[in-house]
Amino acid sequence: MKLASYRKKSPWILHYNAGGCNGCDIEILACLSPKYDIERFGMINTGNPKQSDILLVTGPVTKRNRERLVEIYAQMPEPKVVVACGACASTGGVFRGMYNCEGGIDQYIPVDVYVCGCGTRPEQIIDGVVQALAILETKTKELEESVRLNKEAIKENKQLNRRNIADEIKPVYT
Amino acid sequence: MNNLWVPIILIILAPLLGGLVYGFERIIKARMQRRIGPPLLQPFYDFLKLADKRKMIVHSAHAFLGIMHFVSLWFALAVLLLGGDLILVIFLHLLSTALLILAAYSTRSIFSHLGANRTAISILAYEPVLIIIAVSIFMLTGSFDAAAAFQSEQPLLYKMPLAFIALLLVLPIKLKKSPFDVAEAHQELTGGVELEFSGIFYEAVYTAKWIDYVFCYALVYLFAGNNILLGTGLIVCTFFYLNALDNSTARVSYKQMLRFSLTVSFSLAFINLLLNSLT
Repeated sequence: MKLASYRKKSPWILHYNAGGCNGCDIEILACLSPKYDIERFGMINTGNPKQSDILLVTGPVTKRNRERLVEIYAQMPEPKVVVACGACASTGGVFRGMYNCEGGIDQYIPVDVYVCGCGTRPEQIIDGVVQALAILETKTKELEESVRLNKEAIKENKQLNRRNIADEIKPVYT
Repeated sequence: MNNLWVPIILIILAPLLGGLVYGFERIIKARMQRRIGPPLLQPFYDFLKLADKRKMIVHSAHAFLGIMHFVSLWFALAVLLLGGDLILVIFLHLLSTALLILAAYSTRSIFSHLGANRTAISILAYEPVLIIIAVSIFMLTGSFDAAAAFQSEQPLLYKMPLAFIALLLVLPIKLKKSPFDVAEAHQELTGGVELEFSGIFYEAVYTAKWIDYVFCYALVYLFAGNNILLGTGLIVCTFFYLNALDNSTARVSYKQMLRFSLTVSFSLAFINLLLNSLT
């Protein structure tokens, strides 16, 4: 399809902070600044999951945050990609193993691109988003094939859901 | 015959023209901030992308009202360009905005409701001024028809400069430009009334914004009479004025917007009407 080639030219970004320290968020906003100017790729920072293509998540998932994260992911229409920004979002970072956090966002939603660093550099974020665009294109093709040939869109589930999302927050001080 | 073809072509090409205006506006905005900015055809890339997204609707009436907003706005533009009644044009534009407000109220999202409230308030701010301007045009040309204004030998601008200034002051409210962009307010309401639309239904609302540009510039052109050169000059000046204002001011609250519009813009238009009726 010809429409699929235009998708790469206008990815709209949704940015969500899943309980991070705000360092990576500042770097993401720096991408919009005149120095890095992410808008030249046609990217807009929308605050609206219903109209966005790329989900940028920062921070380890705190237990208060996980339901919102999954809900925001579910509200985005397909095709969509998820970019985990920073060490916390990728693995849990320095918060890994603490009583109020989980180890990274890939425990809850499928992640396509991991961007390392604490905090990430704006150059790395732009590189990660550009890589995400390639994934977005292949995802679009898969989706179109699945519609046209009437077959399953997701062939294999590589993601590990290590925890049950609906788990209650248990008290730690006993 | 020649006179009829120009508006018809303009009406058919209105979304295309509005998209180009919007794309150019984004480039100008980027250059004012010393950025490179998106390509000129960026709105059309967005358009094609949105056509391809999965459609998630809240309920069918909501999506239908969004599409009707687009259709009625295009119809209002057609009536204006074909030289219809100005009062009718203003009320058709009001109808299209009212449909969008209804759509926003029909969802359960709090942001959508807030956006609908603020859009209703912004109608209260710009609508009286537009009606006063239409009445002033009636005083001068003896007819409410836009065709009479388009064909007048002497440009209306020379006879009603205060009304033109009043129009320039309400255009940012209509186009949701800073400092009067409380209705859209991307940082606090994330779009307001258009929040719950997605996929191809958001496209209707997105394209309606482009048609709104053509509508507003047609209103500006109304002041030039049959002088095409003056009309083009007015449109270019208005474009740069709107962008300079948008990029150099911060958002005011809705109360300040309403107070400013109903005291300054409305009185300017009203003084103009009084002067026109005296002479």
